[in-house]
Amino acid sequence: MRRAIFFVSMVVTTMLTPCASMASEDSSIEFSGFARVVAGYLDTDQAYFEGYEDELTFTEKSLVGFQADYAVTDEISLSGQLLLHSDSQHQSGLEWLYLSYDPNPDWQLKVGRLRTPYLKYSDVFDVGYAYPWISPPRQLYGSYLFFPRYEGANLRYRFNIDQVYIDVEAYYGEFSDDIDANGAKFHIDANDMYGGIVEVNYNGWQLRGASFLVDKIRAGAEGIETLTSALDQAGFADLATFFTINGSTEAYIFGLTYDSLDWVLSAEYVDVASTITILAGIENYYFTVGRYFGEYQFLVTYAKANQELTFFENTIPPGVDPRLDQLYFGIEQVISQFPTDELNSVTLTGRWDFRPNMAFKAEVSFLNGYNGKSSMFELKADAEGFDRKAVLYQFGVEWVF
Amino acid sequence: MKFLNLTLIVSSLLATSMVSPQVLAASEIVVVANLPAPVTMEKHEIRNLFMGGASSEFEPVTLEPGIHERLIFNARVVGLTESRIQSYWAQMRFSGRSKAPVQVSSVEAMKQYLLDNKGSVGYLPADSNVPDTLTVLYTSG
Repeated sequence: MRRAIFFVSMVVTTMLTPCASMASEDSSIEFSGFARVVAGYLDTDQAYFEGYEDELTFTEKSLVGFQADYAVTDEISLSGQLLLHSDSQHQSGLEWLYLSYDPNPDWQLKVGRLRTPYLKYSDVFDVGYAYPWISPPRQLYGSYLFFPRYEGANLRYRFNIDQVYIDVEAYYGEFSDDIDANGAKFHIDANDMYGGIVEVNYNGWQLRGASFLVDKIRAGAEGIETLTSALDQAGFADLATFFTINGSTEAYIFGLTYDSLDWVLSAEYVDVASTITILAGIENYYFTVGRYFGEYQFLVTYAKANQELTFFENTIPPGVDPRLDQLYFGIEQVISQFPTDELNSVTLTGRWDFRPNMAFKAEVSFLNGYNGKSSMFELKADAEGFDRKAVLYQFGVEWVF
Repeated sequence: MKFLNLTLIVSSLLATSMVSPQVLAASEIVVVANLPAPVTMEKHEIRNLFMGGASSEFEPVTLEPGIHERLIFNARVVGLTESRIQSYWAQMRFSGRSKAPVQVSSVEAMKQYLLDNKGSVGYLPADSNVPDTLTVLYTSG
């Protein structure tokens, strides 16, 4: 309750702040921020989607963020971003903290805690004002295989060839934190995480290619270690290996965007391959078409998630020995909890920029999952015969200050 | 049932949006700069400069949102809507990439800023008297 009161007071304060950013008198330190209040409703009582259920909820995505930029010298600055979620289930705290070295306008080096820039909007995922939707397509932006931030370095270089403007970035670092995959909690340690981004801009067009590679991922989930050591001891080494989440992963992303006074087109495609048997491969994409009418914008988005599953056979014979039966059912339970995220969706979005730095958005998503798959839903304990089809309604106000 | 209201809101927004934006009002702008020696700039170079492009020579300066000349500049030079420009700058600022140009509150303040700051690049109404010390880089229309 105290958290909610604090959140509301922060939100009211930022809404009343008149300017886009506040500079102190000597202008070497600048404060700015972003906020969103989003309400959502899911039209089924069988499952949760992005934390939403069949009750109007304001807390899932509402948040406020504060940024401070301190210019140490003309070339070096220190930036920090503090995030406060309205819901205690989401992690609040220091999202960014980095030193930036800009020796000239072409080069930029950032070192510290940074957001991972794998998709077009992934490093501003919490800044809803920066993108057109309320929820960027979950099939890409909600994937638990991408780790949202890292501790490391990011180098950026910009240049142009006549009318073609090119932006190149490379990053390297590590990530260690808990992640949530449709209700299942994992602790992830990712070492040697790196990637690159190339953005080629011509007039309103942007072609974007990015990579996200992790050489060493180790994930721990409740009960998994106990299960794998029991399988090892019982002589089922192959099954133990299958459930060990330890390996590498590679993701390649391609995007195309067009922006003009009238139209916006946006598409991203991601291909993930992993040596971790149980995570298998993923090929997800979305395509958005939008039209501007002055301060109004309307968009249609189609998104699809395809998961390539590794064939699994529970080779433990049931009914032979009670201890083997325990293992058999343990495996069945773990398998049922692992996400099988095949889902396609059609989303209609309306955005109205009713004043500078503030926008109202409304969004309806028609979610079409598959029977027997998790399809990014988190099933309720008493769910029966849920067909993995639902409609998600959201509306919200987004602003920056 | 209450969510049917959402459909009503969306349809009413659609109906309102059929009104043409004021961007196409009949006036033009000139892009001017305070430079020691005359230079020429292509439209794409001006666009890139005002969208955070790399430059150690020039400092872009723009009018606050809502001012008529800014709408013309957005439409003729940048080629994006005001709302898209605002969300672009939110993305740049909060991802630590670059910051929006300096903003001034009127055409007069723009003229004064340009006169006071060497290397600054801004825009004025095409029919305004451009001071001799400023160089015209581009004329819209």
